[in-house]
Amino acid sequence: MMTDAATLAPVQPRRRALALSGWDTGVGHALMILVSLVCVFPIYWMIVTSLRPENAIFSTRLWPDAASLDNYAYALRAVPMQRMLVNTFIVSAAVTAVQLLSGILAGYAFARWRFRGSAILFGAVALTWLVPLQVVMIPNYLLVARLGMIDTLGALILPHIASAFAIMLLAQSMRSFPTEVVEAARMDGGNHWQILWQVIVPNLRGTLASLAILIFITTWNEYFWPLLLTRSPENSVVQIGLQMFISSEGTQWGPLMAASTMASLPILLIYLVLQRQVISSFMKSGLR
Amino acid sequence: MSYVSIRDLRKSYGDVQTLHGLNLGFEEGEFVVIVGPSGCGKSTLLRMIAGLEDITSGEIGIGGQVVNDVEPANRGCAMVFQNYALYPHMTVAGNIGYPLKLARVPRAEREQRVREAAEILGLTDYLDRRPKQLSGGQRQRVAMGRAIVRQPRLFLFDEPLSNLDAKMRVQMRIEIRRLHRRLSATSVLVTHDQVEAMTMADRLVVMNGGRIEQIGSPSEVYARPASAFVAGFLGAPAMNLLPATVDREGILRADMCPDRMLAGDLKLPSGTELTLGVRPEDFTVAPAGRGGLPAQVDLIEDLGGMRVAHCQLPGGYASAVLPRESAVREGTHVSLIPDVARLHAFDRVSGQRLAEVAVAGADAGRAESDARSEAFAPA
Ligand SMILES: Nc1ncnc2c1ncn2[C@@H]1O[C@H](COP(=O)(O)OP(=O)(O)OP(=O)(O)O)[C@@H](O)[C@H]1O
Ligand SMILES: [Mg+2]
Repeated sequence: MMTDAATLAPVQPRRRALALSGWDTGVGHALMILVSLVCVFPIYWMIVTSLRPENAIFSTRLWPDAASLDNYAYALRAVPMQRMLVNTFIVSAAVTAVQLLSGILAGYAFARWRFRGSAILFGAVALTWLVPLQVVMIPNYLLVARLGMIDTLGALILPHIASAFAIMLLAQSMRSFPTEVVEAARMDGGNHWQILWQVIVPNLRGTLASLAILIFITTWNEYFWPLLLTRSPENSVVQIGLQMFISSEGTQWGPLMAASTMASLPILLIYLVLQRQVISSFMKSGLR
Repeated sequence: MSYVSIRDLRKSYGDVQTLHGLNLGFEEGEFVVIVGPSGCGKSTLLRMIAGLEDITSGEIGIGGQVVNDVEPANRGCAMVFQNYALYPHMTVAGNIGYPLKLARVPRAEREQRVREAAEILGLTDYLDRRPKQLSGGQRQRVAMGRAIVRQPRLFLFDEPLSNLDAKMRVQMRIEIRRLHRRLSATSVLVTHDQVEAMTMADRLVVMNGGRIEQIGSPSEVYARPASAFVAGFLGAPAMNLLPATVDREGILRADMCPDRMLAGDLKLPSGTELTLGVRPEDFTVAPAGRGGLPAQVDLIEDLGGMRVAHCQLPGGYASAVLPRESAVREGTHVSLIPDVARLHAFDRVSGQRLAEVAVAGADAGRAESDARSEAFAPA
């Protein structure tokens, strides 16, 4: 029986020899754990502070003695928090959807159509990526004002319906999509529209998912443009809501942390559910 | 009128011309193989017929209609690509049925036709798999299924077998021929593999450098290559090409050993400088000193069915097929005696085939080979 067990035991792959020695691995792990702690701590502290009563708000103890949800209740009463969360979600989802759509269409044109000046146009699109928000802020603001869209959600979406990043990323992945498959679809009788939606897009699901996550998170976290545009709390997004707890009379730390926790909850959820996708999408964006 | 007719077809990429005015016709139902070395323009030609590549100038007609400006899907042809080009996200059934879906064939009929195609190709058990879960040969079959399901009049294959292992290649070669017999649609296959070309073709088109070197049945092309290029390209082991000259007395001598007579009584005028072609199987390997070309066996390759002797000549190399029972060993000195009736002569400069070399013996076969060895005693 003994020998049986021995032979049945899976052979351990001898990775050790290739990887670090035992001591090095220990040190490496300790280091990574330390770095992770440093990164996670602010989030933890935000949550813990949000649970502290007002008189213990600056307590340095790692754990709240008497956790309460008072701050949450106050935050929800003081600003229309639910409304803002819904608004932010609408804006982020809409921007994600529209930006993906425009990216797919423009990316296909750049990748598959040969037309005069396409290289110049592509270069121009790429250049817009380098233009910082501060430069286009004023013209965009004037445009939105003239359209009578100040203090509307539409104005938060409008400047983001196309992004150079999405177009370039999708054009690149469509370029590397095998030409033969596209040609086969042409031979099979597919027109551009069918080839794009039935052949190319289904095969870019991974890239599209990563891009969607990236756009969603970026839009969710946006602060400056909404700050310029929104007037009333009902038409505002959650990042503006947070700012309402910071005033010249002093900062309401407890409610601020509670609101921040609520604001980051959706993003944290995305991280938890789609962890691998999120990481790969950030890696992809880092490669650009 | 040919089913596919190509007139003065040219293709340039920028300033570089890759096809130099091709004229070709494919008859209805025939199996044509286009063969040539890498980069000679085979794929370009095929893709122009398919409509995937713009035509620089010239004309392509399919079924009596000029198709220069017709969309690929409307040319009545289907193409099988080298890398199969299957849709990765669709099942086998989805892949085969996709052209029908695009053509808005009703679902029931579509499923019926997909099943039929799958049956012909032995794919019935794999209809729910994705391409990733198939072997190379199975993927190739799916690609063929996608082609036949549309019932095209013209099949185009671009090196369909080059990604398969040797055994699978032989099997698919036979299957493609069977399929062709069954469907009897005109088929054009591109390859750079000469065995594939010789075995599959009803008619062979040999290309080189964007030009057509020769068109004919495999046996014609093998027996009477139109140029030194074709001669050297088709046949394994390759034909020996030796510089030779017809001397003042009208006797043919190899330049590397001018003291030996190879043939007399020629149709060629004295002084002709030519490239002489002798297939390895048309050399008789005789003991040294029996006439022909003096040579030393350098290396013997045993191909199972035959043995090939690679020989060192005074000024070059030549190869000859050895009889199975031959006692010749590496290092042996021998004489290579060519079969006069099977000599090929090509212009030294243009490479074009010249008139038949020998008059005497031109109609004689191998039966006279004994007499020959006497006729070519050392000069
Ligand atoms: N898109 C292109 N741009 C420029 N030159 C090209 C292009 N496609 C092909 N060529 C050139 O045209 C010539 C013929 O190419 P083609 O692909 O038809 O060769 P082939 O005979 O199919 O070769 P292989 O056996 O390697 O597939 C080559 O010299 C190639 O470099
Ligand atoms: Mg090719």
